[in-house]
Amino acid sequence: MKKTLFATIAATALLASGALAEGKVTVITSFPDSMTGPIEAAFEAAHPQYDLEVLNKKTSAGVKYIQETAGDNTSDIFWASAPDAFEVLKSDGLLAGVTIRSEGIPERIGAYPLNDPDGKYFGFAGAGYGIMWNERYLKANGLEPAREWQDLAKAEYHGHVGMSAPSRSGTTHLTVETLLQGEGWDDGWAQWKRIAGNFASVTERSFGVPDGVNTGNFGLGIVIDFFGFSSKASGFPVDFAYPTVTALVPANVGVVSDAPNEAGAVAFIEYLLTPEGQSVLLDPAIMRLPVNPATYANAPEGFPNPFEDSTIGATVEFDVDKSGARYNLVNSMFDVMITYRLDDLRAAVGAIQAAEAALADSDNAEAKAMIDEAWALIDANPIDEAQSLDPEFAGIFTKKRKKATDEVGARQAEVEQSWDAMVVANYAKARELAEKAAGM
Amino acid sequence: MKKAGIKIENLHLSFGDTEVLKGVNLDIKPGEFFAFLGPSGSGKSTLLRAIAGFGPTPSGRIMIGDRDVVGLDPWKRNVGMVFQSYALWPHMSVRDNVGFGLKERKVPSKEIGTKVDAALDLVGLSHLADRMPNQLSGGQQQRIALARTVVVEPEVLLLDEPLSNLDASLRVHMRRELLRLQRQLGLTTIFVTHDQEEANTTCDRMAVLDRGIIQQVGSPQTLYDRPENLFVANFLGTANILEGKIESDGPERRFVTATGDSLTLPGETTGEGTNIVLRPQNISITRSAGRDSLPGKVRHSEFLGSQIRYLVAAGGAEMVVDQSHQAGQQRIQTGEEVHLQVNTISAVVL
Amino acid sequence: MSQNASSPAPSRAGLADVLPRWLVPNLSGIHLVAIFIALLLIGLLLVPVAQVMVVAFQDPATGAATLQNFIDFFSTALFRESFWNSFYVSAMSVVVATVIALPLAYITTRFHFSGSILIQSLGFIPLIMPPFVGAVAMQLIFGRNGSVNLLLRDHFGFDIPFMEGLNGVILVQSIHYFPFILINLSTSLRNIDRSMEEAAQNLGSHGLRLFKRIVFPLAMPGYIAGAALVFIKVFDDLGTPLLLNVNNMLAPQAFLRISSIGISDPMGYVISVILVVFSILSLWTSFLFMRGKDYATVQKGGGGMAKRVLKPAEKAVAYGVVIFILLLVLSPHIGLLLLSFGTIWSYAPLPDAYTLQNYVTMWEGSKTFILNTVLYAGIAATLDVIIGTAIAYIVLRTNIFGRKALDYLATAALAVPGVVLGIGYLRTFHGIDVPFADKPMASWWVIIALALMIRRLPYALRACTAALQQVSHALEEAAESLGATKRRTIQKIVVPLMTGGILAGFVTSFATAAVELSATIMLVSSNNDAPLAYGIYLFMQTPSGRGAGAALGIVAVIVVAVGTIASQIIIERDKKLKSSGGEH
Repeated sequence: MKKTLFATIAATALLASGALAEGKVTVITSFPDSMTGPIEAAFEAAHPQYDLEVLNKKTSAGVKYIQETAGDNTSDIFWASAPDAFEVLKSDGLLAGVTIRSEGIPERIGAYPLNDPDGKYFGFAGAGYGIMWNERYLKANGLEPAREWQDLAKAEYHGHVGMSAPSRSGTTHLTVETLLQGEGWDDGWAQWKRIAGNFASVTERSFGVPDGVNTGNFGLGIVIDFFGFSSKASGFPVDFAYPTVTALVPANVGVVSDAPNEAGAVAFIEYLLTPEGQSVLLDPAIMRLPVNPATYANAPEGFPNPFEDSTIGATVEFDVDKSGARYNLVNSMFDVMITYRLDDLRAAVGAIQAAEAALADSDNAEAKAMIDEAWALIDANPIDEAQSLDPEFAGIFTKKRKKATDEVGARQAEVEQSWDAMVVANYAKARELAEKAAGM
Repeated sequence: MKKAGIKIENLHLSFGDTEVLKGVNLDIKPGEFFAFLGPSGSGKSTLLRAIAGFGPTPSGRIMIGDRDVVGLDPWKRNVGMVFQSYALWPHMSVRDNVGFGLKERKVPSKEIGTKVDAALDLVGLSHLADRMPNQLSGGQQQRIALARTVVVEPEVLLLDEPLSNLDASLRVHMRRELLRLQRQLGLTTIFVTHDQEEANTTCDRMAVLDRGIIQQVGSPQTLYDRPENLFVANFLGTANILEGKIESDGPERRFVTATGDSLTLPGETTGEGTNIVLRPQNISITRSAGRDSLPGKVRHSEFLGSQIRYLVAAGGAEMVVDQSHQAGQQRIQTGEEVHLQVNTISAVVL
Repeated sequence: MSQNASSPAPSRAGLADVLPRWLVPNLSGIHLVAIFIALLLIGLLLVPVAQVMVVAFQDPATGAATLQNFIDFFSTALFRESFWNSFYVSAMSVVVATVIALPLAYITTRFHFSGSILIQSLGFIPLIMPPFVGAVAMQLIFGRNGSVNLLLRDHFGFDIPFMEGLNGVILVQSIHYFPFILINLSTSLRNIDRSMEEAAQNLGSHGLRLFKRIVFPLAMPGYIAGAALVFIKVFDDLGTPLLLNVNNMLAPQAFLRISSIGISDPMGYVISVILVVFSILSLWTSFLFMRGKDYATVQKGGGGMAKRVLKPAEKAVAYGVVIFILLLVLSPHIGLLLLSFGTIWSYAPLPDAYTLQNYVTMWEGSKTFILNTVLYAGIAATLDVIIGTAIAYIVLRTNIFGRKALDYLATAALAVPGVVLGIGYLRTFHGIDVPFADKPMASWWVIIALALMIRRLPYALRACTAALQQVSHALEEAAESLGATKRRTIQKIVVPLMTGGILAGFVTSFATAAVELSATIMLVSSNNDAPLAYGIYLFMQTPSGRGAGAALGIVAVIVVAVGTIASQIIIERDKKLKSSGGEH
């Protein structure tokens, strides 16, 4: 009895530890099984000497994992959407510089450079943020789909919108930063807060948004395009549109420093960029924009082609350096002002919207002034753009200090507490003003 | 306190398919100290619990005073019961335990205080009022349980094997204490026990039960001296039972044993059965035969202190004979041929 | 209590005789076992947790030791609010879980009620659903636009915010964790001596007053044990608030801060320390409360709680209550079942159509997950009962120095959130290579099983301790007096008599380990090594995978439920065998 058990355990141990194939390539990815599966199958068919070992983690957890295990790295490839995650790894020296041979791949997708100028990571597919909605939900609530970001701030969408937090999802961060760059720091934040005032919830995972729209938990969601496409392809009563101000950004792939199988990693990346590798992206469950323009010839009808349709994602010139400089700071601001204080914000914005509706036909100047004041309180930012780009201030929010002497003036907890105190007071005051105005 | 009599008529009770009480009839007088005596499984506890209202609902009648309580919820009966395990609630102090029933009866709290003190006084444990039950000895717990029950002034007091969890020396003391309390309060009391000495020393009358049937009711002495059947004879004390038959010769009646020996039955002896019951202390051992003596052979002897107990094969049975022991007296040896002189006045024919 | 300390070590000539005397102190087998377990707990629990916690005490800028981070914690409004929210949610979950568990426990233990065993088993089922899966299913049923609210709105024009904010967390958590109260309370109720209740009835008490004043206080130790568990689990739980997008609680705050990309904020670690300390404090408080209240259970001359026969009207009410509660607590399972057979389920009370396709998809992609789960949870639960039995024996039957510490340490695992343990393992074991294989321990699948083992050890330990407490010491002495050695006695007398309790511990550990995600999500280093809960998580990350994920969830529930019910039957039979001699 005992012997059998032992044998079973031993056998399973071997099985579970995987075939110790010469060509094992370990991939850390945030992409779902439905995407990695077909690509893995295609790659292994084209290169039978390699065995792709896929390890699914959320982008943030993946970065954390590579950082934590850097001392004795076992991963070959990091494969995810958000360029920022790659920036973080790159700045920690955790990405290897390798040479990738490919043909027919352009320099840019939309307005975004496709590859890292230092050759540490490479774009293999495009994706852009947009608005996804549930047809049944909107019909039941008598709503029209919103097409532009600012539409989402309209009173009619109050409580119907969902979004993920940028600190939880690299691509969401990109959307937030795109708007900040496109509209300017102060106007961009003001717009985000007015949209957030309509949020039903801020989801913890980026997939929480399409999930919420698919089930009808909320009606509209700010999501990355392939979530919209693949949900629709799965049969959900949903649709998706790109707003004018959006960035098309590449989804990336890079080789981890000290990769146990660097040759295999390079082979995988090169395969991804071949016409065969690119066409797998058009699989109904994946639906990402290929970066090889030739691949669009095989795309289904109505599939957007950013290389021909210049309106998609071309409006904003995305500044990677700017984004990288304040990455954590922007995330922290979003969380402090929106994620953690959603109830207060929603109540305040709701009250202002109600006041505006109540005063729509009146010309009470005093009341209107109060509403403007309330909006100003919502819009107010704790810091200006210059401070957001001050490396010393942004440094409070970044990770490792290389030396013990790298001192910073304040602690993150201190700064966040002062922001929190400010927004809580502002939201409360705004709500009070709006309620007073509504009663006039 | 109000005294109530208890009258039980044709009481039947079953657990599922097993009938445990098979037609019990009983009449207990107000103020009487009554005992249910019987071996385990005889139904004595079941009968007691039926009076208190626990267990399956029986058929028949249980009159307490002039009220039939069959089917009545236990909390509506005003019958006080002391449990074998005492069942003191471990999460309440002694005072709260004793005051519980009064609180349930919505007695004003001031009055509760006085009554609880009086009840604790009665059992002599006023000084332990604020202890928790697990800090008390077995005897103390027993007395608290008693105080808790009598404080609500029940019409009837039921005691379920109250002494069985105490050690021997305490048991004797407690049974006197119980008797004193019962006399002082004048409560109609039923006492369940399997120990005849306990029943004998305390109760006015008792009922012997076996297999769900009352075998005999009467004072302890009556039951001992005049058992009405072999079960009672055997259950109460040691009994030598010889088989045989009665032969009449004019007015004189004799009992002739299976071995052909004959014993004269005095005029008082009634009964027409085929067995004669002889108590060990009513037989003496002699060396020579006499009137109403049985020849026999000593098989075994035991020294019991005040007595020596002999087992003697005689009259077709092994008879137990107790001889009082005096210092210097010669003990009869095993194997010796002896004669058993029977005092037939005490004999009972069944 | 003290024989074995002096019992001679097995007199086998071996290494010990060759080595110098000071190297081999005079230790008996049981001492060696104790030392081994202590090392195991230190290596697999203390060290990894300390690795995580130490960050909380470091200045983020200089790395010097400081308490500044804790001052920051308490001066931050958001954290104070999160602390209060966690506390509020935990306390309210205990209240709601009590409301759910109390009627079930009372009705099944107190009355002749057909289906009691079934109810008790069904009552265990919610515990074996991964909490995040429960949250998904609960959203579909009770969410803003879930079945219930859609129907309410259509027919009555109003809805109920079951799942909004903290309410949602409380509802999901109570439904998930109430079995802890149900199990402990039922045991306590069963052990109340019948005469305790009868004495009160005899003195004029009945109904609710009787329950309030006598029955419930006597069942208090069991209730407190269960309630403390619920409180701590809810306080530490991460998955449910995250899935419901509630961020203003401690555990999600810790997780969000620790796992955010590249953030150096020590606050996540500070919160972890506070979670652990507060949980230990809660445990300790509940122990203090229970001390001296360990009421003697069934007494001499008494019997268990008297079971009453219900009158027809009462029976109808009781069945109504039981069915309503079962429907409520099994609603996640009902939702999951519908999801697994549904095609598209969007903004509608029920799925649009039904299919078996989800099961086909699931089966194709999940065999490894299921096998892995059975392997990991099996190893974890087996080790748990072995170690649990050993610790119980050491604590109750020996006077080895520090035996209580062993007990406390093993129990403390209860207070360590899964994420903290997961990160600790990554830190501790990454630098150590697996013997004979060129890979770090942290990415070896065995480490997952070990993490599960540590996480579930407290459950098994409680069960084994309870079982050993019921084995009379005299039985062991009898065996020893007949010449059995300590080892033989344990083998032949103690362990067989503990079988029921050990099995119960095994089932609890196995069932809950099988659906654990919080620690494993940090430790899975390859999809081939992933257990079932992780598989469901993966499926549920894609629009087309929801149905398949649900199907896998259903498989998990069925596998564990069958095991649970089977062992329940074995335990019942075992109990009957043991008590058949002493029936009153």
